[in-house]
Amino acid sequence: MHSGGFSRRDMHRMARSAGSRNNARRSDLEMTTLEEVPETLQGQLEDLLESEEEIRVAISTDLQFNGTYGTDWVLATEKRLLAFNQNGAPTPEVRNIALEAIDQIEIRELHGNNYMKVRTSEGAFEVARYSKRFAPKFAEATPEIEALIDKIKPEEAETSKRHRKYVDAGKNKTRCETCGRPIPRWSDVCPNCVEKGKLLVRLLRYAIPFWKVSVPALLIMLVIRLVGVYPPILSKTLIDDILVPATMAVTGGQPVDSGAFGQLLTIVLMMVGAHVFTAVFSAVRGYMMTWVGQRITLTLRNDAFQHMSVLSLDFYQQRETGNLMSRITQDVGRLRDFIAEGLQDIIGDSMALVYMCIIMFVINWQLALWVLIPIPLIILFSFYFGHKMHKVFHVLWRRYAGISTILASTIPGIRVVKAFTREKYEVDRFQEQTYQVFDGEMNAAKLWTLYQPIMTFLTYIGTVLIWLVGGRQILNGELTLGEITLFMTYMTQFLQPVRTLAQMNRRFLRAATSAERVFEILDTAPSVASRKDAIDLPNMRGQVEFRDVFFSYDSEKNAINGVSFTTKPGEMIGLVGHSGAGKSTLINLVTRFYDPSEGEILIDGHDSRDIELRSLRGQIGVVLQDPFLFEGTIADNIGYGKPEATRQEIIAAAKAANAHDFIVKFPDGYDTTVGERGARVSGGERQRISIARAILKNPRILILDEATSSVDTETESRIQEALGRLIQGRTVFAIAHRLSTLKHANRLVVLKEGTVDEIGTHEELIAKGGTYANLCEKQTELSKIRAW
Amino acid sequence: MEQPIQIEDEVQFLDPERLKISRNQFAELEAELPDGSVHAPVEPVRTFPLTQPDQYISLLDAHKNELGLVEDINQLKEADRTILADELEKCYFMPKITKIHDLAGRFGVTEWDAETEVGSVSFDLRSRNDITSLDRGRILIRDIDGNRYEIVNYHKLDPKSITLLETQI
Ligand SMILES: Nc1ncnc2c1ncn2[C@@H]1O[C@H](COP(=O)(O)OP(=O)(O)OP(=O)(O)O)[C@@H](O)[C@H]1O
Ligand SMILES: [Mg+2]
Repeated sequence: MHSGGFSRRDMHRMARSAGSRNNARRSDLEMTTLEEVPETLQGQLEDLLESEEEIRVAISTDLQFNGTYGTDWVLATEKRLLAFNQNGAPTPEVRNIALEAIDQIEIRELHGNNYMKVRTSEGAFEVARYSKRFAPKFAEATPEIEALIDKIKPEEAETSKRHRKYVDAGKNKTRCETCGRPIPRWSDVCPNCVEKGKLLVRLLRYAIPFWKVSVPALLIMLVIRLVGVYPPILSKTLIDDILVPATMAVTGGQPVDSGAFGQLLTIVLMMVGAHVFTAVFSAVRGYMMTWVGQRITLTLRNDAFQHMSVLSLDFYQQRETGNLMSRITQDVGRLRDFIAEGLQDIIGDSMALVYMCIIMFVINWQLALWVLIPIPLIILFSFYFGHKMHKVFHVLWRRYAGISTILASTIPGIRVVKAFTREKYEVDRFQEQTYQVFDGEMNAAKLWTLYQPIMTFLTYIGTVLIWLVGGRQILNGELTLGEITLFMTYMTQFLQPVRTLAQMNRRFLRAATSAERVFEILDTAPSVASRKDAIDLPNMRGQVEFRDVFFSYDSEKNAINGVSFTTKPGEMIGLVGHSGAGKSTLINLVTRFYDPSEGEILIDGHDSRDIELRSLRGQIGVVLQDPFLFEGTIADNIGYGKPEATRQEIIAAAKAANAHDFIVKFPDGYDTTVGERGARVSGGERQRISIARAILKNPRILILDEATSSVDTETESRIQEALGRLIQGRTVFAIAHRLSTLKHANRLVVLKEGTVDEIGTHEELIAKGGTYANLCEKQTELSKIRAW
Repeated sequence: MEQPIQIEDEVQFLDPERLKISRNQFAELEAELPDGSVHAPVEPVRTFPLTQPDQYISLLDAHKNELGLVEDINQLKEADRTILADELEKCYFMPKITKIHDLAGRFGVTEWDAETEVGSVSFDLRSRNDITSLDRGRILIRDIDGNRYEIVNYHKLDPKSITLLETQI
């Protein structure tokens, strides 16, 4: 906050340095509520301000009232608030409001833009219109202006409703704090600030443990490439030293040198040897590198999943499941390709090119230069083509993703599809998408079919050049037949490495993107974590105190808006309130799925953030509103929180949850497999299994979020009874819309829009005749109708 | 035979003849409903902001309770219509992009320089998902700060803008 202001004298000096701030992408990030006022306004200010008056707040907008982009100003001194609104006119209209007169400053948050409004007793004026980009700035300036008003009217400061609490959860980091660039939605780290070099070094670090394999593999490759350039040299020798002299001899009618066949045999054997060598060692190397690649995948994948399991819920909430899955499956795979193959390919291919160039230049540097002429063309073409292909493939990839999306929504939703007889619609939708994939594939095919002939033609230019230039050299006696053959062969061998290197850039980029996506998981710190000095709390008594707790999921509106109350150990608290009142959110804070944005939750007098997470969650049993069963048997699911539980304990827990009876009716009893999301059991059965799971843990704090909402009243009362015995000495938070569920509750907390509306025993609240009494009355009426 | 209930009857629109909309001294929207009750401030909400911006306008009172639905603002009396349309324009600010000067970025993050009907603007996106393609070349964009922009039909932009845009959709 700014303590001092600046006087009129200073302003002239500052006006000179006031840069153009229109369209300033980076500069407006340094958020200040005391901006430099442009010269054009200075003149007007001279007349408006008294001599000792200082400007305390000066903020500009990026919108004008007529809905065009442009800059207006809001200024505040210790006496008045000034608004300059241009509104398309040549000179801005000035609104001069004495702070004395201001009742309230309001911010209207609308779609795509906000307004700042000043309310006096006589009327209200809009003073600024600005886009969402400036929302943080205005949110910061508002309390500063309010503070100025309070100074003038201290008597109202206490009572006025001006002091709104601004809770900034600040969860969604949108811009990088160091460079100000946007951070991709999927990421928490700024890709620009993670240096590319560092990224590659980090990647290589995963290869380092396997250097004993990958370094020899690299060496083998270099040797293979070296051996690979050898056979054309052998052919050259064969032609020049044996075949050509022999032909000459034969045409000249002379006998062929008697040792010629021996030499021929040696060279052919050497050729075979070279090929066998290359083949064998390529295979060996391939196996070695696959091993390295798979080891890297293994480490990376496990690291990523291990770290993901530590991350807090907000991480998962901001990302789609599919997106996270593809990072663990695809991106990790792509990294393996890059670390294990990509780098070595690049080194190997460059070496091969260097070898070949050296040999060609040594043999005949003029011809070598000619041969190189088409190479830039080939590189350019590969580059251009790769770019085009990338686009086509990207479109295709999105269309395939479209197919997955349709499948992902219709397969789980098949009941709805059938119930509303929309099979045809879904089939049509699917067909349309598959036709699009077909078109995309054909587009790709078109490109490919073009690619081959063009590439061949470019290479052919090289061949023709060799024939032309090399042929002339032969005629002049400057080149031999063997040498021209060698050039021919190298010309074709050049192609593949050149192509690889031309596409190297994209390979790097893709790997970098994948690396970021994977490292993002590894780099994200869990927002809810145990502190270093966190304590164990082995025997929790179960006293929970909420102290002025605020919480917001999205920093737009507060789901919990200042909740304070204390439970005694062993007390059962019933949480009631309208749907969306914040009941589930409140208990999410107790389990530390999220941490409060402000305020604290004390457990046995310790801030819950100071307690070791394992210790805390180990003593809390939860039955969530939407219970989740894992793929596995019923016994596995009940024993999930206590793997060492005996069969007897499992049965006991099931009995307490009134689940035993229906479980034994399944042919496989406790060994019945329940599928994804607990298919094959009914909603009420699923709830009872999860109650059993929570009870088995023998928790000190038990949380039941609508735990019995799907069971009939009779079953519920039986569960109640069992719970009544079990909850002795435990703190219980029970959420229920059906108020009869809460008849054992010691006290009831009525939540309303994130705040505590009422608190007390059933009798107290009925006597009070407030929200709870009202709810109760309605439900009794309802139950009368039901009883009929 | 008894007629089955018609579900449309569940929605009653405010009678445009007997609805009065004005602005009070606090610069707030004030509505006098056909039943004679007067409410302020009233907040108009587009129920189909993207597809039917002028139809089915919900009027909310200060507690966000619905006072009623206006079927079509063009049925209102001229004076009422102007005030309501003006307020809606304020509440939904979504400039139409007419030209893209520059568009660059990596990792799905893109920085845009564009021309809109209300002036030039630059903004940043955080992911490709912030661009939504609708029917007939219509494109909606939501930037990093929550501002929204619209391209009415991208096929009708100039070739350079189309080329730039097509890298993103
Ligand atoms: N994961 C979430 N992200 C963003 N907002 C959320 C999330 N979960 C809940 N909310 C919002 O927070 C508010 C409180 O939700 P909460 O789940 O605590 O309600 P509740 O009292 O448990 O309601 P119900 O009785 O329907 O279960 C609601 O307005 C809801 O829309
Ligand atoms: Mg809930």
